[in-house]
Amino acid sequence: MHGYSGKILHIDLTARKTWVETKPEEWYKMYIGGVAMASRLAWENIESGCDPLSPGNVICIAGGLFAGTPVPVGGKYGMASKSPLTGFIGDSLSGSWLAVTLKRSEWDGIVIHGTSEDWVRVFVDDDRVTFHDASNLVGLNTYETEDAIRDEYGDDQIRTACIGPAGENLSRIANVSNDGRKAGRTGQGAVWGSKKLKALSIRGTKGVSVADPDALLQLSYDILQAAQGPHTQKYRILGTSSNVLNMNRLGLLPTRNYQQGTFEDAELVSGEYLHENYKAKTTACAQCPIACEQIGHVKEGPFAPAMGHIEYESLFALSSNCGVSDMEASIKAIVNCNDLGLDTMSTGVTISWAMESYEKGVFTKEDFKCEKYPEGFEARFGNGEAMVALTEMIAHRDGYMGDLLAEGTKRASARVDEERGTETYKWAMNIKGLELPGYDARALKTFSVGLAAGTRGGCHNRSAAYDPDIKGDVDRFTIDDTRGELAKSTEEYAAVYDTLPLCKFIRRCFTGKADRAGAWPAIAQLINAVTGWDFDYDAVDLIGERAHTIKKAFNIREGWTRADDYLPWRWHHEPMKEGASAGHVVTEEELEYLKDLYYEAKGWTKEGFIPKEKLIELGMDDVAEEIGV
Amino acid sequence: MRIQLELFGLARIAAGTKELALELEEGTAFRDIVRLLSARYPAMIGNVIQPDGETLQPPNIFNLNTRRMIQADQMDECPNDGDRIVLMSMSAGG
Repeated sequence: MHGYSGKILHIDLTARKTWVETKPEEWYKMYIGGVAMASRLAWENIESGCDPLSPGNVICIAGGLFAGTPVPVGGKYGMASKSPLTGFIGDSLSGSWLAVTLKRSEWDGIVIHGTSEDWVRVFVDDDRVTFHDASNLVGLNTYETEDAIRDEYGDDQIRTACIGPAGENLSRIANVSNDGRKAGRTGQGAVWGSKKLKALSIRGTKGVSVADPDALLQLSYDILQAAQGPHTQKYRILGTSSNVLNMNRLGLLPTRNYQQGTFEDAELVSGEYLHENYKAKTTACAQCPIACEQIGHVKEGPFAPAMGHIEYESLFALSSNCGVSDMEASIKAIVNCNDLGLDTMSTGVTISWAMESYEKGVFTKEDFKCEKYPEGFEARFGNGEAMVALTEMIAHRDGYMGDLLAEGTKRASARVDEERGTETYKWAMNIKGLELPGYDARALKTFSVGLAAGTRGGCHNRSAAYDPDIKGDVDRFTIDDTRGELAKSTEEYAAVYDTLPLCKFIRRCFTGKADRAGAWPAIAQLINAVTGWDFDYDAVDLIGERAHTIKKAFNIREGWTRADDYLPWRWHHEPMKEGASAGHVVTEEELEYLKDLYYEAKGWTKEGFIPKEKLIELGMDDVAEEIGV
Repeated sequence: MRIQLELFGLARIAAGTKELALELEEGTAFRDIVRLLSARYPAMIGNVIQPDGETLQPPNIFNLNTRRMIQADQMDECPNDGDRIVLMSMSAGG
């Protein structure tokens, strides 16, 4: 078999033992890698109905088909577990050097079971696995942890995924960090913390076997050339944060906890402003010729010397959505999240919920007492210092508010509403417990159902249905009977990239067109050059449907019902007052209609369950047996 | 007629300005505005505008009055006096 070793490494933290599982080639043809393979491993290994923070949960890591090969932007891997934030599948993508060294270690995937009694780090040194006391690493931030392990061995080829203090303290919005990249959303860091797993290091020294090296080199060269051209120029020069001004002008920029879609100071937190005033340099993941990471640097003032990469999703959450127009405070808050191991999006949206709650009188200054501010502080929108302080409080569960917000918006609002008789759920901006991304879906009607039905909650990376809305392919303010198919189609399109995985920023570099016709034939050629298979357009297309289906199946097994595909209260009941998207909501009737259309397009029942025949058609007979209807 | 043209992203960097007030003859099409930009700001060619000097390089796109995106096959349509156009690079992610 080319492209794979056929071996999955299992590690049991409780018994401190390991074993090897072999998988047949047909299994790899079904699940490929990345989020699909990680989710399939989660399906096979996670105890159904388990508490996500109990030993029954399992960490599943799946390599990338193109990692360690010349294929541009293929240095990525997937991670899955049962999410402590949503109770459903938590699937994340990360990338860079860890993905490459995982591939070179010849493990197609790593599954981590059980729970350690004491803090532990695991070292996978090719075939050899060792367990090490990690008490010396506890309390270190993510970068310090990676450096400490690399320094101990004196080998920079050893790459490490780890958690920061947020994961150690079981914050449900904690992530996992490696090489400056994050396996984010859905609280993977808390799962690691619950197992007392501080770090997983890998050294891979072997080669990667590919079926047709000459063809792969030529294909990769052509893509690399295109990736240096205009199709990626925006990412290379400005990065994703250039979307701040776009979204603001379209009335879609979440502002003050999604109360508004325009921010009066958008220029001051824009990618353009960052480029002109704070950009230190650009950096790239391993195996990437694009280099989209814009490194922002605060050189002086109270937030100096903060430096880190600034993305749109981090920026909206920790600027406009908190009403903060001080770019330096935003950079500092983002850097804090990355250091401490917090998901920037969930952190920003959770803080904005707290700020709105403060302004509405639910919280007082005293509720924000913490070690640094024993008298508390006024957590109003626009208070950059408060926003920065709250990132630290959440990671350390410092004080009442730090402990509360570490639970994420859904749990925090439920707890406060129960304790205080309030209705903060009306502005708890999450779906299935996952905090929302930087697009207000009240005026993106196709995207609204993509978000509501998302298997990991409100996520723009898994549903790409904002694309036709924003680009004007459809009328984003209205609905029609095409939207179910469109939501399905865009979601499965994204799932192909997340499964190979390839960074989506390469999508125009195959032929100049980002659609299926422009990309799938070239992707089939890449797959075949690595594996020797005979994938075609249809086989590539099926990757996305299967990837999405295994995640949906996981959720059904965990008790999902149609009612879980919801939108936050605000998006149903409170239209924005100003901007290009003023006056719009997604009514409850509209959402139910869109869900009907979407389930029908997926070939599911009206209640959103998957017929056995559908699963068998996808080759997922064992899944059909368990959850098919 | 008078048109306000806002520039975001790479277009702003290439032009060195955030906004232009354009005095145009009646019947000027969106494609003509691209030609005008090519002539005035050659640095846009290759990144924002295709080498032909009259076609926007995807995902750059005109937004008209915050409500409507002008698609590639609509570039021969004409804006009206007082319209506000934004030239933006419209691809999401991050």
